[in-house]
Amino acid sequence: MSETVIRALGLGVEINGRRLIDGVSLAAERGQVVAVVGPNGAGKTTLLRALAGLLPTVGELEVGGYDPRVIDPATCARTRAYCAQKPLSAWDYRVSDLGEIVGDSLGYADWLAKLHLGAFADRRLSELSGGEQKGAHLAMTFAALTEPFGSALILDEPAAALDLGRQESVRQAILAFAHAGAACIVATHDLEFARLCDSVVVLAEGRLLATGQPAAALTPGIIAEAWGAATGR
Amino acid sequence: MTATKAWGAGIILLAGLVLLALSVGAGVFGWGEGGSWAQLRLPRVLAALAAGLALGIGGAAQQGVFRNPLADPGLTGVFGGALFGIAVLLGLSPESAWQRAWFIPAAAFAGALGTSTLLALIGSGGSSARLLLTGLGLNAFTAAGTLVIASRSGESRELLTNGAYGDWLGMATLELAWLPTLLCVLAALLLLPLARSLDLLSFGEDAARGFGGDVGRTRRQAVLLTALAAAAATCLVGQVAFIGLLAPHLARAMVGPRHAKVLPLSALLGAILLLGADTIGRGVWSQAPLSAAAVTAVLGAPLFIWIARRNHE
Repeated sequence: MSETVIRALGLGVEINGRRLIDGVSLAAERGQVVAVVGPNGAGKTTLLRALAGLLPTVGELEVGGYDPRVIDPATCARTRAYCAQKPLSAWDYRVSDLGEIVGDSLGYADWLAKLHLGAFADRRLSELSGGEQKGAHLAMTFAALTEPFGSALILDEPAAALDLGRQESVRQAILAFAHAGAACIVATHDLEFARLCDSVVVLAEGRLLATGQPAAALTPGIIAEAWGAATGR
Repeated sequence: MTATKAWGAGIILLAGLVLLALSVGAGVFGWGEGGSWAQLRLPRVLAALAAGLALGIGGAAQQGVFRNPLADPGLTGVFGGALFGIAVLLGLSPESAWQRAWFIPAAAFAGALGTSTLLALIGSGGSSARLLLTGLGLNAFTAAGTLVIASRSGESRELLTNGAYGDWLGMATLELAWLPTLLCVLAALLLLPLARSLDLLSFGEDAARGFGGDVGRTRRQAVLLTALAAAAATCLVGQVAFIGLLAPHLARAMVGPRHAKVLPLSALLGAILLLGADTIGRGVWSQAPLSAAAVTAVLGAPLFIWIARRNHE
């Protein structure tokens, strides 16, 4: 079995004639945490959705042993979990319902407790703050990945809306998944977090600006180029 | 309220209602007095139960698949499509329409599937405005089509007008009603297994796919089965709005939004509502009975406005 869990080669996304992601190649191996960074509008969310197989794309793509664009969704979900930046719900479920929906109530309750949400199990989602709702969806995502070894965990700004305590819990969760053999791809604005990852992908205007170990990919020059270009400086 | 209590109360209410419905009416038939009771009231009660069940669960499924609490096969034009399908068949060949038991249901299904598919293609995307405006357009178009056909075919005119007013329950005989009744039950049974897919879909398409849901298949199945439920119910009652809206709302208020609970409870509540509306319509003014659709509109329209208001706050 290959060490590489997530492999994209020349990945491109075009929506309504606009190239949102252009020729991005990246890889994540078992046990690695890869940070995707870049200014607003660089294409982080689009890249993560593309990697999760949620968008029509061109290029080669393999995630958790399958091409997520052609494999049936249920099989794909066994080795790939994805949590959107701003999860939503059309109906006002109880927090505990989410575990039954994802099909692993015990695992979900466990993750709720780890994210300091155990006391909220009987509340409705509408009674939770934005950060707490995000925490519940993260617990759902974590519970969905019952077999982490060789699986892909794709998280879009998992800690952005969370308080400091829960940010740390999410960080611990990501490390635990990596330790268990998953490859984690995390979009983030937190460069301090990115510097602690195994590898960093810097995006600007839908293209790969730099990739590699944090020290090599997050040099002052690259940071100035990525964020300076977006701010017009 | 727990699911057990809701079901217990619902089943007792329904049983009482069935007894009441069997004994209320213009004609004075005693119990077991030869054929008239079995021929007249029993088919009507069975038809109301089956249609109500299909309307309730169809509404719940449509709300689930569009992730929108204002969806209802009546308001979104699916009933209009079913009636238009029947009108086209009656307009094209009024004689042969009744030759086979499945001709009328098939025509209704074709019409309902047409509008249901158009609605899914044009009206989906999450916004209430888009869904309801598309439904409004489909409703207007199919109503106009039905009216044009009705005005040009003498013998079907009264039939189609009664259908548009949801006043067909009175015509129910076992010969006419058995197939649509079976189709109502079939659609309801086939909708039940969609519960988990609809739950997943409520978190958005990305999340549903992320958790292994097949969004395309869920949507196709829901569109097809909602059309079947609406078509079969239309064959029995004609057009009845608001049951598909009311039943899921009551169900969610009682047992929460999980579709595994909402779908079957909406079916039960739909049956109670339609049979209740028909019984009120027949019982209160027995000399000039109101159609079930008129009674549900009087009750349902204010609720619709209330939900629309609350939805925007």
